[in-house]
Amino acid sequence: MTIHQNELLSALVDGELQGDEIEQALQLVITNEQARMQLQRYQLASDVLQGYVSGSKNVDLTSRISAALVDEPVFSQTPMVKKKAQVILFPKQFWKQATGLAIAASVGALAVMGVMTQPQNQLIPVTPLAAIDAPTVVAQAGNRWTVGEPEVADRLNTYLLDHNEYAGASGVFTYARVVSYDAGR
Amino acid sequence: MSVDLELVQRVQAGDKKAFDVLIMKYQQRIVHVITGFVHDPVEALDVAQEAFIKAYRAIPNFRGDSAFYTWLYRIAINTAKNYLTARARRPPAMDVDAMDATNFYDAPELKEFETPESKLMSDELEHAIHEAIQDLPEDTATAIQLREFDGMSYEEIALAMDCPIGTVRSRIFRAREAIDKQIQEIMSEGEQQ
Repeated sequence: MTIHQNELLSALVDGELQGDEIEQALQLVITNEQARMQLQRYQLASDVLQGYVSGSKNVDLTSRISAALVDEPVFSQTPMVKKKAQVILFPKQFWKQATGLAIAASVGALAVMGVMTQPQNQLIPVTPLAAIDAPTVVAQAGNRWTVGEPEVADRLNTYLLDHNEYAGASGVFTYARVVSYDAGR
Repeated sequence: MSVDLELVQRVQAGDKKAFDVLIMKYQQRIVHVITGFVHDPVEALDVAQEAFIKAYRAIPNFRGDSAFYTWLYRIAINTAKNYLTARARRPPAMDVDAMDATNFYDAPELKEFETPESKLMSDELEHAIHEAIQDLPEDTATAIQLREFDGMSYEEIALAMDCPIGTVRSRIFRAREAIDKQIQEIMSEGEQQ
């Protein structure tokens, strides 16, 4: 008996064989008496650990039941066990990564949408255009301009408003420009 | 598809040997369940044999709606009850559910089933197996404990131990190899006596 064969039998006890391993294990048990005994000992250890051996010696009914079944008919029908629908199975790791990517993409999309739907001129005081035109309002807007002449500040405000209005949907870009302007000062 | 269902399909398609594997897998459990009803060890083995034969005859009708063991368990319980009725004995007043079957392990009725020799043998076996597990490296012992005591699948154990399924499979195999050495020693001692 090779290590691989014994490992197959161990997995058979646990019902954890995959694909053609079932065929391999079955052939092994049918054709090899040593394999049969090995399987029974593995199964016995499992049964003892799970509390299924109570005061009785190791039970081996296989040969007497097989003998009793000799005269029983051999079935030759199409198996009635329902087959599960054919589903392509991906490893769990794949689903983990896919879920992570999907969450990251959703969060990213929400963040971009959130910024884009903000008012374009939010960094400018939310006041009517007419009010912005007034020099006093510019002065109240947190000393945005350091120019002395109110006319110059007024023109700058107008440029800024025009820029914000024509900069299109690029909300993030607009924001960056306004901030960098102030920071540069 | 589970290994049991694969084996059942093979029996349904005419492979009698596949049924032998099912017997090997479940004979201890079925005998254990039947001893909850039939206390005499020789009679219990006869009833278990009858239950397996009934299962074989009924296997063409098994459609896989439940696990194979659940289906086999019901056949075993019915066979045991019918046996007691036929022998004009009273079956146990309470019914036994598949999940409660192991509770019969400590039932007083079972004590009748034990002879001093068989009790000594099973105690020795159990002790040796637990000792073998204690001597295993920690990761190997954990793998077999999660499998046998917690009933986890290889995939669940792999997640719990953060290692590949193949590693779980080889750890459980190594544990079984160590346990098997102890079992073989006890069996050879038993044969010598």
